[in-house]
Amino acid sequence: MNPLDKPFAQLALVLVTVLALPLFLKSGILATEILIFAMVVAACNLLLGYTGLLSFGQGIFFGIGTYVAGIFLTRWSVPVPLVLAGAAILGAATATLVGWLSIRRQGVYFVMLTLAFSQLFYFMAYTFSGVTGGDNGLLGVPRPAIGGNALDGPWSYYTYVAVCFVVIFALLVMVTQSTFGRTLLAIRENEGRAAAIGFPTKLFKIEAFAISGAVTALGGALHAMLIGVAPLSNIEYHTSELILIMTIIGGSSSLFGSVLGAGFYLLLADALSTIWPRWLLLLGLVLVAVALFLQGGLWGLVVRGYDLIFRRDRAPNTSAEEH
Amino acid sequence: MTDIALQTRGLGVKYGNFHALSEVDLQIRRNSVHSIIGPNGAGKTTLFHALTGRVRPSSGRIELDGRDITDTSDDDRVRLGIARSFQVTSLFPNLTLRENLRLAAQGRTPWQALAPWRRAEANAEALDIADGVIDRLALGKVTGRLAGELSHGQQRRLEVGMAMAARPRVILLDEPTSGMGIDDIEVMKDLIRDLGHDHTVLFIEHNMSIVMNISDVVTVMRLGRKLVEGPPAQVRDDPEVQRAYLGNMITGDIA
Ligand SMILES: Nc1ncnc2c1ncn2[C@@H]1O[C@H](COP(=O)(O)OP(=O)(O)OP(=O)(O)O)[C@@H](O)[C@H]1O
Ligand SMILES: [Mg+2]
Repeated sequence: MNPLDKPFAQLALVLVTVLALPLFLKSGILATEILIFAMVVAACNLLLGYTGLLSFGQGIFFGIGTYVAGIFLTRWSVPVPLVLAGAAILGAATATLVGWLSIRRQGVYFVMLTLAFSQLFYFMAYTFSGVTGGDNGLLGVPRPAIGGNALDGPWSYYTYVAVCFVVIFALLVMVTQSTFGRTLLAIRENEGRAAAIGFPTKLFKIEAFAISGAVTALGGALHAMLIGVAPLSNIEYHTSELILIMTIIGGSSSLFGSVLGAGFYLLLADALSTIWPRWLLLLGLVLVAVALFLQGGLWGLVVRGYDLIFRRDRAPNTSAEEH
Repeated sequence: MTDIALQTRGLGVKYGNFHALSEVDLQIRRNSVHSIIGPNGAGKTTLFHALTGRVRPSSGRIELDGRDITDTSDDDRVRLGIARSFQVTSLFPNLTLRENLRLAAQGRTPWQALAPWRRAEANAEALDIADGVIDRLALGKVTGRLAGELSHGQQRRLEVGMAMAARPRVILLDEPTSGMGIDDIEVMKDLIRDLGHDHTVLFIEHNMSIVMNISDVVTVMRLGRKLVEGPPAQVRDDPEVQRAYLGNMITGDIA
């Protein structure tokens, strides 16, 4: 195992990222958005990289978190920590349902089912505009307040999100290191054998969905507070696609890869959009390049670079005991 | 308790319209070594699939220690004490050898593994079992190697080890020696005989010298049905068996 994949290395990289973003970025909004998506993409990675499930349904959970924040903060002024907890719980419950129904099929049909649910939830949000605000979304979502002061400055809210992000990331690292996470890897590697040695594999997949859904919904709630709106677009199929793309760009073999994927995508999109209005086209080219030449994603590149610089002396197969 | 560990009555399995297994009645005595032989396509592996719950029987029933397990799921059967190895090696290739066995040992108590805060190392028992199997299979030199990078012989031994790590009462081995070199085959033969002391062993094997030497009972299958059953010497001399094999398969002598 590469030393960079060790849990403490991953946490250190995350801390460095959180501290470095304010130094290098002018926009606190952009920096906050990167952290929110980094969290959400890491949750998608738990499914894709660790369990081998390509879910097109992540936007559902993100959107649900967004609406929980929108509804409970604009109508009833529920305290933010309760709203975040509620978003996570509802996200987990929805993901359990979507996961439970989708994993009944495998491969392409599984992907199709998550896609279908994604459409279903979008149209539900669109139809029940009394609750969700329909096309307009829910306006005037307030930021959290600490000691009576609303975190209206971009960097003060950044700090709030950064704390949430570090905690959630640490929890996800714990999940992947646990006996649960290691069973997920076994299921990804060889589901038939995992079942043959006694693991009820469906239950493990559903739990992975639930955790992923909880984190994604939490991210959605934080996002609504960031932009002050709970928009319909957060539950659109496009959001699912975006999360998946970031996951794949970042590389699915490590959680920190997801942070790279989210950061790379959002920074590139930000830079390109100021250069050329047709920037999505350039982004498309970048994606093609990643898919063709960078199969381990950005994280794969980092690991290869690290090995080149620090581990020249070690032949690839001499990695000794890992436990 | 009865003397019969595992029993089937009228067991049948269909793949579509094809009867891969029909009306199989088996009685496997406790702590015996029972081998299943028969030409390719006889339904031996299919029988294992049905016994372990990988495929649903289309008819008949299966009993473990007198308890009906016909509708029990494959992972539940592991907890009841049935474990198997596969004819085509089926490991977790990108995990280390020790991790493969740790998982197999953990599979007996999978609910523990649902707790996402519990560390794998906290289950010292599973690690001990994994290490015990490693010792018994003499794989101590390669515990940290990825399963996919092991030699064929080592992978075959690990394949059997995966079944042992579940601490089953009934262990099913599907052609454990397939593709092995002569030295490895001898080691495997001793291991199977050894397993018979404290397990009920059911194994499929094409190597007749092993079958004839270490089995208490031999069942011959053909075209999805049980053809003959009995002690090795009796089965070897049975004219029907000779015919089924066209005389060219049973070559091993009783040592
Ligand atoms: N999944 C499947 N779908 C359809 N037919 C199958 C399937 N698996 C096996 N069969 C067929 O069922 C029959 C029995 O197969 P099985 O694998 O049980 O034989 P076997 O006795 O284990 O043979 P071998 O000695 O070659 O391993 C064969 O004719 C095979 O082609
Ligand atoms: Mg077979």
